[in-house]
Amino acid sequence: MFQLDEDAYNALRSYLDRARSRLRRDPGRDEVLRDLEQSIGEKLVQLLGSASRVVNRREVESVLEQVGAVDTGNAESVKVEGDRPRRLCRIEEGQWFFGVCQGLAAYSSIKVEWVRAIFVVLTIFTGGAAALIYLILMFALPLVHTHDEYVASLRTHSDAM
Amino acid sequence: MDSAKFNTLRKGLLEFLILGIVSSGRVYVADMLQRLGKTDFATQEGTLYPLLSKMRQDQLLDYEWQESDTGPPRKYYKLTATGRKQLAEFRGYWESLTSLIDELGKPSCKK
Repeated sequence: MFQLDEDAYNALRSYLDRARSRLRRDPGRDEVLRDLEQSIGEKLVQLLGSASRVVNRREVESVLEQVGAVDTGNAESVKVEGDRPRRLCRIEEGQWFFGVCQGLAAYSSIKVEWVRAIFVVLTIFTGGAAALIYLILMFALPLVHTHDEYVASLRTHSDAM
Repeated sequence: MDSAKFNTLRKGLLEFLILGIVSSGRVYVADMLQRLGKTDFATQEGTLYPLLSKMRQDQLLDYEWQESDTGPPRKYYKLTATGRKQLAEFRGYWESLTSLIDELGKPSCKK
């Protein structure tokens, strides 16, 4: 019913792609997308009136602004945050030996005192095997200096994804 | 009233406001947008459609297609029995909540 120029088409396309990816966990995704498409279509028809001409990017963008970005509410964003990939590191700040327990504590959100206690108990009961694991982790894990730096590294890590 | 805290609160309440609007009878999306438009809860379709879809999956409301003289057929929404029940529950809860908030603000008589 109407034609879009290439820029306008790309703007519409990227809006719909974004919407699709935000709705990826919604079983009603296809229907929501159809509703949005219909609404966008109607607004474009209204904009054009009886004129038969090609729609440009600015017009598509103004319509998309009216419709607004797809927002799936709080539940979704909380879930996404929970999925944030965590990296295991050694943390220098507050370390006793090489910061492996500090790193494990930050990674697992368990208090560092508990992590140390578990490590000590495991070392006793496994006849030293846990100490070996400590040694391996000591060499394998990258080192960050402070807890703030660890948290910041998670953020940039997930942004890069 | 535009801090992030109030925003979260508004987002959570939107679903109940939609229940309230739809309870007035058969309602189109355009009606909902218009009804909310002049309030603090002004909402765009990008937010509303996913929410309506979720509420339908929760069986709070349902829609039927209605032919229209001008343009394509439209959905009009109405509450299900579950939706009406939830709206009544929400209204009761809201009343108890506002009276609690009023109560807490007053200096207590007991020492």
